[in-house]
Amino acid sequence: MIKREQQFNRALALLALVVLAFAGLGFRLMDLQVWRHDELAKLAEKKTQQTSWRTAKRGDILDANGNLLATSVSVKMICADPSMIGGQQAVVAHALAPLLQMSEVELQQRLTPRIQKNSQSEAVTNGLHYVRLQKNVPDETWQKIQTAMSQLSFGVDEKKLPKADRAFLHNLREYAISAEPDQLRVYPNGSLAAHVLGFVGTVENTNHTSDAVGYDGIEKFFDDKLRGASGWRVSGMDSRKNELVTLRDEDVQAQSGLNVVLTIDAAVQHILETTLTNAIARHAPESITGIVMRPRTGEILALASLPSYDPNNLRTINTNTEPDRVISDVMEPGSTFKTIVISGALNEHIVTLNDTVFCENGVFHFAGITLHDSEGHHFGNLTVQQVLQKSSNIGASKIGIQLQAPKLYDYMTDFGLGAFTGIPLPHEVSAKNFVRPADKWGKYSIAQIPMGQGVAVTRLQMAMVMGAIANGGVLMRPMLVKELDDASGNVVQRYQPQSVRRVVTETTAKEMVEALKTVVSKDGTAALAAITNYVVAGKTGTAQKVVDGKYANDRFVVSFLGFFPADNPQICISIVMDSPKEGGHAFGGALCGPIFSEIGKRCASYLNIPPDEISPQPGSPSPLVAADGSH
Amino acid sequence: MAKNRKNQAAAIRFGPALKASFLCLLIAGSAVGYVWQKSQVYQLGKQIRETESRLAQLERNNLMLDNQLADLRSPVKLDQRARNLGLIPAQPAQVVRLSEMPLVPSDKNSFARQLAARPAGVTPQ
Repeated sequence: MIKREQQFNRALALLALVVLAFAGLGFRLMDLQVWRHDELAKLAEKKTQQTSWRTAKRGDILDANGNLLATSVSVKMICADPSMIGGQQAVVAHALAPLLQMSEVELQQRLTPRIQKNSQSEAVTNGLHYVRLQKNVPDETWQKIQTAMSQLSFGVDEKKLPKADRAFLHNLREYAISAEPDQLRVYPNGSLAAHVLGFVGTVENTNHTSDAVGYDGIEKFFDDKLRGASGWRVSGMDSRKNELVTLRDEDVQAQSGLNVVLTIDAAVQHILETTLTNAIARHAPESITGIVMRPRTGEILALASLPSYDPNNLRTINTNTEPDRVISDVMEPGSTFKTIVISGALNEHIVTLNDTVFCENGVFHFAGITLHDSEGHHFGNLTVQQVLQKSSNIGASKIGIQLQAPKLYDYMTDFGLGAFTGIPLPHEVSAKNFVRPADKWGKYSIAQIPMGQGVAVTRLQMAMVMGAIANGGVLMRPMLVKELDDASGNVVQRYQPQSVRRVVTETTAKEMVEALKTVVSKDGTAALAAITNYVVAGKTGTAQKVVDGKYANDRFVVSFLGFFPADNPQICISIVMDSPKEGGHAFGGALCGPIFSEIGKRCASYLNIPPDEISPQPGSPSPLVAADGSH
Repeated sequence: MAKNRKNQAAAIRFGPALKASFLCLLIAGSAVGYVWQKSQVYQLGKQIRETESRLAQLERNNLMLDNQLADLRSPVKLDQRARNLGLIPAQPAQVVRLSEMPLVPSDKNSFARQLAARPAGVTPQ
């Protein structure tokens, strides 16, 4: 009986032990599967799953004919895991330094794990498992690096090494150096249209990959359109960290950025920039700018500001080269402003082109100041047309006085002065502070402003004024972007020319064109701006610069704004030169006129602009006879 | 009777053995099939990965060729090459501009004259 009781107790004890053991297992199971489920699931996921980010290709920037102006190319960021290199830094550095274009010493230092103390006296490493060696490495170089790593020789017979050492060397060759996909922004034409395109910098995003961010020009203005959206892939890995395609959980393709198609024509831009560069060599100005546009649509075919920079090389960007003076610099317009005054006076029927203005023989006393005509001219009676042709300051002032300040101010603002033109470029200034309302003008402003002093504008604003005259009196919004396309070339958004307002009547505009034609005649101020076979209309400007609060006699901003063919305007060109070496002898017609003519001639040939008149040259083939016998 | 039982017993032993063998074969076959299928899935995954890698490489090459083409078509580079070859832009005197024929002939005879003036072998379109 006792025996049975003992047996029972033992069995009970055994059962209790088994139950306890199962309870322990159950508890552990609950612990692993329920209570710590999230934590452990994440840990397991981390070991077996990999998330790879796919950088979106930044959109291209193209010219109006589809020529590539900015694009992104695939490159690699070369990284290393110093913990896998052991003591073999010298061997690895010797093999890779020439490929990475780094010195062996520098590379060796980067491959060596270092422990330093930070500002809070905490020990930090230089990245025991991760250090970046070189960025923007071409794919071909990465392939050479892989080959070099696989052929590394450590000067020992590896077959005789212990298994652990062989595994270490194998891992070093295979995994110590890695590459991350990256993109490099490339501008195939170098500095061409640099101020329009802008440039990019890189910022590291939350996915530990770098993004290109636009810092200027179209790159900045359309950054959100160009950037695109990153994609990602979450998938399982095998023990060798190879992706197991069947275990892909998420696979989201990166969406490329939109391509921005500009109205800029690379060939016209090249013509403009090469001509301006030659002008810099001749006249050594502080800066020179040029704009070529279609006056009827406001399309900008070329826009240049020199000195410029190469967006491929950010070291060429400095305070002298970076500003786009066309939109961000303000200047007194000088005599080009007379276009506004005389347009206004004609439009208000205050004067006609044939009315006579007495120009005071070159000296005009008004409200306590004395005005002079330029170049020591002593004009007597001039018609309104001649005031424009000869660029008489006194004549323009008298017409301005007749027009009166409020009306003149209205025309200034209607022509777009003191307001943003709306060009899609960053850093545009409105110069609003320099176009004061008429009630805030001084007592002699009404005499001074009509000759282009005491008011400031941007170069683009003045070009748009001339464009409005060429366009029959309608001011257009400058158009720089034609359309946005997706990566397949489908149009996502198309931009249309936009008129801002009608400023003067068509009749007034036609009268102005007639008057402006005389400027580019042998009796006008811009005879050198003439283009063979084309009738040109335009206006010169020679503005004194303000130095230390006074008008300097040896520093001028000279300009010429014109368009052709005058009666059927196809292109409007603005040339502005700041402080040429000619100093006090610098005049817009003499300096900027020939530049205008050169650009106009080359553009007319390239754009195939029909000439106004065909004058047969001696020795040239006789004009062809049409089939019906007419010439 | 005894003989019959003996024969009957032998018949019973053969049947289960066959069934057992069939079952074993089925299980083994399923196991081999499962492993083969898994291997195929792995192989296909590997092929997909390789194909994707090749596709990415081809896309990179395509992009590189696009960039090369853009470089060769660049007006700036073309201008430089033309100048290096000693070419210069045509002077205005060298350009002959042809006046276009009217699209709609003013009269039947005029149209006939235009047709007659065409070089031989050119057919009207």
